[in-house]
Amino acid sequence: MGEAAARPDLVRVTVDERDVEVAPGSLVWDACERAGVFVPVYCAHKKLEPVAVCRMCLVEVEGMPKLQPACATRVADGMKVRTLTEQVRKFRDSNLEFLLLNHPLDCPVCDRGGECDLQDFTQRFGPGRTRQSIQQKVHFDKAIPLSDKIFLDQERCILCWRCVRYYEEVTGEREIVLQQRGVHTVVDTFERQPLRSQFQGNLPEICPVGALTHAKYRFRARPWDLRRTASVCSHCSYGCNLFVDARDDQIARYASSDNEDVEDSWLCDRGRYSFPEYNTRERVAAPEAVVTGGRQVVSHREALARAGGQLLRIISDEGAEAVAVVGSDLMTNEEAFVLQWLAREVIGTPHLDHRLRPTPHLDPSDFELSIAGIEECDLLLVLGEEPERLSPVLTLRLHKAATKRGRRVVRLEPPYTWTEKAQAQRVGVLASELHRDAGAAIRDQLRGAGHRAELLTVMERVNSRGCQDMGLLPGWLPGYVPAPKVGMGLAEILESCATGRLRALLVVNPTPELEASPEFEAALRGVEAAVVITAHPGAASRGASVLIPGRTIVEKAGTVTNTEGRVQRVRAAIEPSLTIPTDLRTLGELAGALGADLGVAPMATPVFEKLAAAIPAYRGTQARMRARWGRRG
Amino acid sequence: MPDGLVLTRHQGAPGLHTLDGYRKVGGYQGLARALEMGPEAIVAEVKASGLRGRGGAAFPTGTKWGFLPQGVFPRYLAVNADESEPGCFKDRVLIEEYPHQLLEGVLIAAFALQASHAFIYIRGEYRQQRELLEQVVREAYRAKLAGKRILGSDFGCEVVVHGGAGAYICGEETALLDSLEGRRGQPRLKPPFPAVKGLYGQPTVVNNVETLSNLPYIVTAGGAAYAALGTEASPGTRLFCVSGHVERPGTFEVPMGRTTFRDLLGLAGGVWRGRRFKAMQPGGGSMQVLGPQHLDVPLDFKAVADAGSSLGAGALVVMDETACMVEVSRRLVDFYRHESCGKCVPCREGTYFESQLMHRLEEGRATAEELATLADICAGMDGRCFCPLGDTATWFVMSAYRMFKDEFDAHVGAGHCPVRARLGAAA
Amino acid sequence: MPESEGDASSAALAPGTLQRLRDLRSRYPVARSAVLPALWVVQDELGYLPPWSEELVAEELGLLPGDVAAVSSFYSMYFQHQAGRHFVQVCQNVSCALRGADDLLAGLREWLQADEEGASPDGAFTLEGTVECLGACGGGPMMQVDRYSYEDLTVDSAREILERVRGSAGGGAGA
Repeated sequence: MGEAAARPDLVRVTVDERDVEVAPGSLVWDACERAGVFVPVYCAHKKLEPVAVCRMCLVEVEGMPKLQPACATRVADGMKVRTLTEQVRKFRDSNLEFLLLNHPLDCPVCDRGGECDLQDFTQRFGPGRTRQSIQQKVHFDKAIPLSDKIFLDQERCILCWRCVRYYEEVTGEREIVLQQRGVHTVVDTFERQPLRSQFQGNLPEICPVGALTHAKYRFRARPWDLRRTASVCSHCSYGCNLFVDARDDQIARYASSDNEDVEDSWLCDRGRYSFPEYNTRERVAAPEAVVTGGRQVVSHREALARAGGQLLRIISDEGAEAVAVVGSDLMTNEEAFVLQWLAREVIGTPHLDHRLRPTPHLDPSDFELSIAGIEECDLLLVLGEEPERLSPVLTLRLHKAATKRGRRVVRLEPPYTWTEKAQAQRVGVLASELHRDAGAAIRDQLRGAGHRAELLTVMERVNSRGCQDMGLLPGWLPGYVPAPKVGMGLAEILESCATGRLRALLVVNPTPELEASPEFEAALRGVEAAVVITAHPGAASRGASVLIPGRTIVEKAGTVTNTEGRVQRVRAAIEPSLTIPTDLRTLGELAGALGADLGVAPMATPVFEKLAAAIPAYRGTQARMRARWGRRG
Repeated sequence: MPDGLVLTRHQGAPGLHTLDGYRKVGGYQGLARALEMGPEAIVAEVKASGLRGRGGAAFPTGTKWGFLPQGVFPRYLAVNADESEPGCFKDRVLIEEYPHQLLEGVLIAAFALQASHAFIYIRGEYRQQRELLEQVVREAYRAKLAGKRILGSDFGCEVVVHGGAGAYICGEETALLDSLEGRRGQPRLKPPFPAVKGLYGQPTVVNNVETLSNLPYIVTAGGAAYAALGTEASPGTRLFCVSGHVERPGTFEVPMGRTTFRDLLGLAGGVWRGRRFKAMQPGGGSMQVLGPQHLDVPLDFKAVADAGSSLGAGALVVMDETACMVEVSRRLVDFYRHESCGKCVPCREGTYFESQLMHRLEEGRATAEELATLADICAGMDGRCFCPLGDTATWFVMSAYRMFKDEFDAHVGAGHCPVRARLGAAA
Repeated sequence: MPESEGDASSAALAPGTLQRLRDLRSRYPVARSAVLPALWVVQDELGYLPPWSEELVAEELGLLPGDVAAVSSFYSMYFQHQAGRHFVQVCQNVSCALRGADDLLAGLREWLQADEEGASPDGAFTLEGTVECLGACGGGPMMQVDRYSYEDLTVDSAREILERVRGSAGGGAGA
């Protein structure tokens, strides 16, 4: 902390002889944090309203006779806070003794062991002795399956109310409530009915102890066994920040990060519990190529040489436009950028695409509204259920806008029109890409009526937005520059492959949907050469003339762009157990085999610099910024 | 009408619990007068009366009313009839014998505060009393004393009698509001205070039954006349509930400040069975014990505070020489353990720990170290809990430990209660 | 809650009960305030609060069943299980204890042959000895039978009262 000059809009607080300045209305807890003074808390949580029930954060405030809860006491100018006095020390000791009285002390079999606030604070501030022999514990139920995702242990619960408040404030679902009274109080569901929320996975994260635990992490690991990697959830286009905790080459769990601009620290269960597929799905283990007499395993180098040879022969025999390139929105921006370069500049074909569903006309005006901006809109118009179905965490942002910010949220039904005269100044329109045109029409209509209206088009997969930005499209170059020649879209590419109009296909990271489509299988059968880079066996790997193992999104490094245009880094959380080069490197080498040179090392950072040079909006966006597109319309 | 009395001045008048009976002694003239005076004048009289809350905290009523923010409506009045302090039964008497006097006070306050609704929150155990109040309110509605256009004026107020369901903590005003909102009766974080954000987030005043029952007199006779009944520091009169080891337990209205504990004991016929006075607990189950040396302390807020206790909710539990202070402490500790709402750690766990130790001590099974632990536990609770319940769960036991240390120490390792053993030997 | 169950449940209540719940709701500026009175109405009729009744109250007041269970389990006078026809509370707090409440409770417990839960074998009584101070400290020892208080008791006088109550028309505890 630098010695900032006194700012009149801030209040000055002294914490343990350290002077800090904080905004008026801040909590003493915030001031302590600003001063770098750790205050233990159980019930307090940055995302929840203060309740001051655990009392762990009681501190001395000069002029107040009693100790005050730092989590619920507002600062005043000139306030003097002390956290290290004998009074505070004794109380913490005493409070921890209280907390442990009825605690089962079953740490050896508790999943929370090693990352439990009750353990940690007891170590750091606790009594260091026990007087419990003189008392009988109150017993409660243990290992209650509240759903297929969550276990509840009422004995370990310290009644911080975080789960109850989470369900009340964050989701509004109120599935877990307090029951009984006094020392018999428990948290529970009504008549033990199973949890139905799609946001249950946040419960173990906000639980400060081992009362709520993940079924999928049960007895799986200790925190010190885990390697933690900050990354982005790959489940949808919302771009929730998270930590991937891996044990050896297996993902043990996803844990919440906290990016207020995106997921606001909450994950949906679909995303959070999507990781097992990366542990269990079968992999393409080694390069293969069709040689005389059938397919056989070849070296990586030979696979590349054969791929280059096959493609070059078709280019020279049939022309570059006999080749089509198919990527997917499971690719990073860097991979997508290199792939479109490979298609356009190296092979010389306009036929490239990355998705089966025809892409509506998309451009940066589709995502002017940011995710955080949702809270600032007086009125929010949501077109049907699709946006929240695609990105469940959006539901929580809308709930927050409605309940904490008092915003009006209207869910429109088909046909998506808006006829009401709105009082709102700022209006947000949220549509899935399927209903993007209807959303844009409503936005334009509201703008016409003088409102500040913005659209957020919610896309489908982790890098759907990035692939658009990168120009992995038949009609658009990187940065939404119209292509001089509009090539075929994916549906047409597949049909043309099947009918023999196209002779060669380069497929990278095919999506499960593409793999499942009969047209794709027919296309692979129809072409002479099919060069496939993929992580998993499927239609693509079966129909490949050259097959090169690829990586899954959790094994990649690079950037992806979320639905609001925020550029975020993904990092390789696990290394594939087989030695598989990165897809970016494979693409660079394939360019080499085709006689071209990428010009930079086939690694995320240099390639990002290259793409940012081509797409001005991407310059300087690596620090989780939104791409800076000029405003249109 | 006996001089010097307010609340019980109509004692013995026939049919007081009916509208007719109450009207015969001048009932509802205070309300009529209040409607003429207007809200500001009423507040001024209440301030002049020096009336302080009779629920236990003794906060000046007029000042409390003054905290309501200007121009914010609707406002609510919540009447605290959740009397549950051990040793207190005065509100019960006021409800059973003078229900219209209470209702008149409620309506005067509602008018002074311009409250749209008055909710009388009465504890669940007072079922019969609740039904009596419901009947009284119905009568009042029929006589245009409640509801819309009260006594032909522009003022209207809906009066709702609301029954609790067994929770001591609902006597705490913010817990009462949560309970009234249909929630678990657990105290709220303050600030905001109820005057600013109370029931349904609106400005709300919570007043005790006895406090409000004084209002008909105050608006009729004037605040100064009321104040003059007591002393300057402790104005007015007050109902005290005397129970325990006395000849004639009961409620007694006495002038504040001028009366001593000894006078009160005398009104209750003195210590029963010719036994010797040992100790007393004024104020209710929460308050600290006083001894024979305090009998001549006047019923004055400051004097009692100086003696180390409080007048609280107006109780006086008298204990003769046969009472075991450890046993009495254990009973109160058990009560608080049972009534702890469970919201905060020190109260929820502390009362449980305290209770276990007190049982061991009472049975003579506790060690000296455990007795020391008890003091530790209480130190970890007092002043550390979310609301006064947990704090006060330590007050009697700790004060008794200080005053009757020998008796506590004698229980250590004795294998039985030494006080009981001594009585057995004497008999 | 499953609809079929809901139908069966409301059928288990007297015809006018649902209407009484709705009347209660309209007494308050916010419907949720009617939770405690509504639970009283249901318990007066059934003698306790089975889970379906909490679901019913929740539905009538626009709440979730968990909201109602959170409340009903907090207050000691709501029963989660069927209790005796009459609810007998013997105050054990200090004022009553000083005047012999322990002996009264022990005497009644023995006479009623009450089990651990306080239930007498004939189902007539549920005896409760850990209650809040019942606000009759001037008449201790005392007991409250359903809604009526009886003061200055001995074991004998209390037994006589309970014998009379046993013979009188039944009704839910608290009714």
